[in-house]
Amino acid sequence: MAGLYGEVLGNAKPAPFMGGRKAALAALEKFSVQGYANSRNKIHGNVSRLSFYIRHGVLGLREVAESVRQRFGRPYDALKFWQELGWRQFWQLVYARLGSRIYQDLETAKVDLGENFPEELPEEIQKAKTGLVCMDESVRELVETGYMHNHARMWFASFIIHFRKLGWRAGERFFYRHLLDGDPASNALSWQWVASTFSHRPYIFNKENIRENGGKKWCERCHARCPFDATYPELERRLFSS
Amino acid sequence: MKTLVWLHGDSLSARDPAAMKYPEAMRVFVFDRPFLEKARLSFKRIFFLYECAAEAAQEIRVGETVAELRQAMQEHGAEGLAVTESVAPRWRALVAELRKGTEVEVVPAVELAEVPEGFEAKRFTPFWKKFGKEWGG
Repeated sequence: MAGLYGEVLGNAKPAPFMGGRKAALAALEKFSVQGYANSRNKIHGNVSRLSFYIRHGVLGLREVAESVRQRFGRPYDALKFWQELGWRQFWQLVYARLGSRIYQDLETAKVDLGENFPEELPEEIQKAKTGLVCMDESVRELVETGYMHNHARMWFASFIIHFRKLGWRAGERFFYRHLLDGDPASNALSWQWVASTFSHRPYIFNKENIRENGGKKWCERCHARCPFDATYPELERRLFSS
Repeated sequence: MKTLVWLHGDSLSARDPAAMKYPEAMRVFVFDRPFLEKARLSFKRIFFLYECAAEAAQEIRVGETVAELRQAMQEHGAEGLAVTESVAPRWRALVAELRKGTEVEVVPAVELAEVPEGFEAKRFTPFWKKFGKEWGG
């Protein structure tokens, strides 16, 4: 397989998550849905980390949903979890309908996204050297482990698209190459959702949102001038008023 | 008729629907060289896929998928292929190519919610309200 993967050989290491159905079933049995609804958006919240197995059909969507129903019944936590599984099926349905068109803007953007987008993300972003600890730590985790928390994915995508005006395709490619659960539909369509080419409005976030969702420690050791430290109306004015 | 089960990146389990339908059949996974050369996936992704494939398939091959599957069928004396359905355009193109000269049975994937063919998925909320009732939608 040498020569068929992206890195130079010295950097090639397995992820901390093991592939295969045995590992998948062990992860499924270990997953408790209790507290999922309230904590899933927090960086260290109770998330399942089953997406790698679901994406590659090692576990079936229905199988995962039924396991939760058998063990926990139908509490609100389970409903929220099933809804996330529903998103996976929804993205696949869109993909079935549109095929490779998911790689083009599906709708006109609701805000100015900029132009002349690069094919690849700038080096300093890919190498986790922007100086913004929240972004750099998220990229480092992605490159080293093949995983990034869903909320961190949204922050990063919004940073790339709306704060840096780099478009969504280069970031989409970067995620696809590294995420163990990288799926054409879930990935490209989520980037488009953040961009507002597949949603009613762009997704943006601020520093307070990062701090409230488990990123406080990042902020405490960050010395950069924070581009996210503002209210939402102020950010909207800065990002979209030109 | 002797059947070979083709496991692919969207259905990589010894218990995938095609494999469950043909439990005695040999299961083959192909690392598609043209795709990998283009996609430049990270080593971690490929290694993860390898771990999944090593457990799920009895044979892992590297090369061009259609040619490798035809070769595998020949080597194992199989006359037909069974595969679990995927929506990926590349998978659809490979099946169309395989069907030129090979019998391919596409086994439906198991979905979370039953959705009739032809439904146009546009926004999540109406989809989930309509079809996600079993799961609280």
